[in-house]
Amino acid sequence: MFGEEELVKVHKARAGIIGNIIVACFGLILARLWYLQVYKGEQLHQFSIQNRLRKEVVWAPRGQIFSRDEQLLVDNIPRYDAIITPQYLLDREVTIPKLEQILSLEPETILKLLKKNANQATYRPITVKKNIGFNELAQIESLNADLPGVSVQTFISREYKDKEVGAHLLGYISEISQDQLPKFKKRDNFDYRLGDFIGQFGVEEQLDRFLRGVNGHEFVEVDSRGRRKRYINTDNLFKGIEDEKPNQGMNVRLTIDRDMQLAAFNALEGKVGSVVAIDIETGEILTMVSRPAFDPSQFSRGLTPEYWRSLITNKMNPLRDRNIQEHFSPGSTFKPVTGIMGLEENLVDENTDVVCTGSLKFGRKAYHCWKKEGHGSTSMVKAIRESCNIYFQKTAMRTGIDTLAKYAHMLGLGKKTGIALPREVSGLIPTEEWKKKRFGEVWQPGETLSCAIGQSYVLSSTIQLAQAYAVIANGGKIFRPQLVKEIYNDKGEITQPFKAELVSDFKFKNPNTLRLVREGLYQVMNNPKGTAFFRRGKGLQMAGKTGTAQVVRSSADKVYQKCDQLEYQYRHHGIFVAFAPYKNPKVAIAVLVEHGCSGSGAAAPVVEPIMTTYMKKYQPELYLENLELEKQAGTAAPAPKAAPVEVD
Amino acid sequence: MYQSLVAYLKRYDFSFIGSFFAIFLVGVLNLYSATHSQAHEGLNMLYRSQVIWWLMATATAIIVSIIFNPKTFERVSYIAYGITFFLLILVEIMGDVGMGAQRWLNLGPIRMQPSEFMKLGLAMALARYFARVHPERELALRDLIGPGIIALVPAILVIIQPDLGTGMLLLLIFSLVIFYKRLKWKTIVSLGLAALVGGVLMYNFGLREYQRKRIHTFIDPYADAKGSGYNAIQSEIAIGSGRLFGKGFKNSSQASLQYLPENHTDFVFAIFNEEHGFFGSMFLVLLYLILFLRLIWLASSVQRFYDSVLVVGITGIFFWHTFINMSMVSGMMPIVGIPLPMMSYGGSAMMTYGVCIGMVTAISNSRNFFN
Repeated sequence: MFGEEELVKVHKARAGIIGNIIVACFGLILARLWYLQVYKGEQLHQFSIQNRLRKEVVWAPRGQIFSRDEQLLVDNIPRYDAIITPQYLLDREVTIPKLEQILSLEPETILKLLKKNANQATYRPITVKKNIGFNELAQIESLNADLPGVSVQTFISREYKDKEVGAHLLGYISEISQDQLPKFKKRDNFDYRLGDFIGQFGVEEQLDRFLRGVNGHEFVEVDSRGRRKRYINTDNLFKGIEDEKPNQGMNVRLTIDRDMQLAAFNALEGKVGSVVAIDIETGEILTMVSRPAFDPSQFSRGLTPEYWRSLITNKMNPLRDRNIQEHFSPGSTFKPVTGIMGLEENLVDENTDVVCTGSLKFGRKAYHCWKKEGHGSTSMVKAIRESCNIYFQKTAMRTGIDTLAKYAHMLGLGKKTGIALPREVSGLIPTEEWKKKRFGEVWQPGETLSCAIGQSYVLSSTIQLAQAYAVIANGGKIFRPQLVKEIYNDKGEITQPFKAELVSDFKFKNPNTLRLVREGLYQVMNNPKGTAFFRRGKGLQMAGKTGTAQVVRSSADKVYQKCDQLEYQYRHHGIFVAFAPYKNPKVAIAVLVEHGCSGSGAAAPVVEPIMTTYMKKYQPELYLENLELEKQAGTAAPAPKAAPVEVD
Repeated sequence: MYQSLVAYLKRYDFSFIGSFFAIFLVGVLNLYSATHSQAHEGLNMLYRSQVIWWLMATATAIIVSIIFNPKTFERVSYIAYGITFFLLILVEIMGDVGMGAQRWLNLGPIRMQPSEFMKLGLAMALARYFARVHPERELALRDLIGPGIIALVPAILVIIQPDLGTGMLLLLIFSLVIFYKRLKWKTIVSLGLAALVGGVLMYNFGLREYQRKRIHTFIDPYADAKGSGYNAIQSEIAIGSGRLFGKGFKNSSQASLQYLPENHTDFVFAIFNEEHGFFGSMFLVLLYLILFLRLIWLASSVQRFYDSVLVVGITGIFFWHTFINMSMVSGMMPIVGIPLPMMSYGGSAMMTYGVCIGMVTAISNSRNFFN
């Protein structure tokens, strides 16, 4: 240990060295500043006055979206904005009125705009009018010399060919918001900038990272009047600064069929509801339409306040995707589930006859069939065909809710289908445990009776119903519904091919289960006593089930009240689910018509044109064959204009 | 009474306190000039919050310098280090993300950046270590194991945030302190080699893509095809366009939002140069120089080992920030996001400086002169 004096001496010597290092470092900095400010000062000064070099983003064209048969659904269209750069706006009194005249704006509009933006730096352009027409564009370009400070900015806008058709599915793009910016940066590990357009809904949102591409940039020189010219690399200072071309986004081919999509959209005209069509062998979604809808093109153009207000004040909520974001009581369309349970659990068989007297007393409560006078002696096939409540309730009575839930789950109900679209709801299949957890109450046996006919707590979405019927049609396989057939780059190389995803495969114990349920579903549409006989169409050979879901639980005296006498929001939902062709099923379709009063009256007619489109396009031979067979059998009689409407 | 007040004030060393305040004054005016024209809500009011931060920092400095005896600093050194270390870990677990890195800790209304405090924590811990361990010989590698761990662990934590700049800064503070404690030539060479190897490994495996890009950009900004050399060039244009006398207060045109990123933090020096030219910057550099030389002189003139090393550590904090920031803004180093002390906007940093100056003042007031 040495003494303090010595230590201080050592410290002093060291401090001296450090002091010298510090001085040398700052000498270096001053030398550098001298080099920049004195030696190169004049040259750099010139650059700064003129602000000559500007880096500008070159937007990457977003990938296109096609239908399964390669029809273009979403494209990019250039659009033009008129902008003013205040810095270069020399002759305000002349330029502004002239511009207002060209753009047919109210006088003073531009002055107000300039005033509003007076605080921002003068070299920053202000958008005067968005999306100007070609006429206006031509005038501005030709008068360019007389309009210093005025220029036109090109933008690529997203165009949705069929406007509202499939809007929810395709989604829209819009500018990233201040709130989203930090969140998305973290989520996607991607350097978003303000001004970036990103997918905000539907496929555009889900596949954003494939569709968006990589923006490039170019360096432009700006002359003293603010006009851009291509940067010419003459100066040594900027030696090597290079533009970077944008990389176009990937193109996407969807599983959607455009013709079926249009048929579905038209069939829902004037209705509030949704349609899903699924390929039962792969889970590919052929059709997905929700109405009312919106025009996604409007979003990428910069939404007008009027349009936005019209969307959010609309009580029908056009922004909601009723296929996946809405769940409702499936009503009678749930009965096949109860039927399958009954057959698989050996509670009933082919020969079981249940007598329906029109009502059933259970505990202190009476449960009614929709048919007041009752169906009489009823078998499984008849029960499905004529949608007898009592048959299914008596079946369910003999077991518990948990058994029923098991079969509902087997068909994919009560959980998200896992379709690659945001904000899907899961529906609900109650169990005893669920009720205990949710309400802290014990399950009442009577509730099982309501659930057996798709009421009470049971909830499902349109897409779940389509999937459930696909499972009935394909014999127990759940495929995850998918929207993307393939993703490919601009050279046409496929980077993401389609692969069917099998979620589960149920093996039926009873060989009669599917045969009987399918037979019942077939008779619904092809037996004159079936609830949707008049909606069978021509050459379709459909099997299906109608459903009517009460929106509010009505008291006994209202059960038989005519639905169309109720106020709109109390009317029943009409539901219809079908698959076809019966002998060799390929496609399942589910339809929801909100407050449509009945499944047969409101929802079933929607299926017919979609299925007809499908058959004509994908199974033309079978379609003709069916027509011929129906003609021979004499069952091809056209449906009467006013088909009897039944509350089933 | 009057005489005793004079006697009391005489104990204060006004050369470093004065230059500290002078730099802050220049800084706040410069901040006002840099942001006054910005349309961005809130940004043009930044200078006000900077003044508030500064008032709080000054109050802290006064409290620290009056209330605490330097011996107290020594006693709490490891505790202070431990607390900042804990906060650093906390950031790692539940920190906020700002500018793509996890640096911020949200404590209700206050957002802290523990890596700022770590600089002082490290200086204190090193001083505390060397106050007890001071062999007569020059330090060999094995003497550096203890202090090396003290410095390296938080540095690595900060680098993985990722905040490469602050992490390197911790290591630089460490190297200044051990240099002050005398190193064998052999030690210097082996540390240099270790830094080189570490740097190469870091570059290849530890850096994120954008960090690597910055280094490319620095090595050859003009050949950078991706155009990220753009900021460096714009910063040089801003500085150069100031020429000898500058464009004048509030007249920066080049260094506005569009052309320079973060012009209220990392690039304030470019704006100052643009507005006040070479003579202005000479004046500013001189102020910094006075501050550092006075601090290092102070370090060598105090009696207690702890005080001496602590002041060197604090000098290191100020000096490295200043040197790295000026170098990167003027294009002599890659852009690494190190602010300029007292000039750049930043509350956590300002508070750290306040505590630093308070501690130095306490040490300065209590010293026995040896000459």
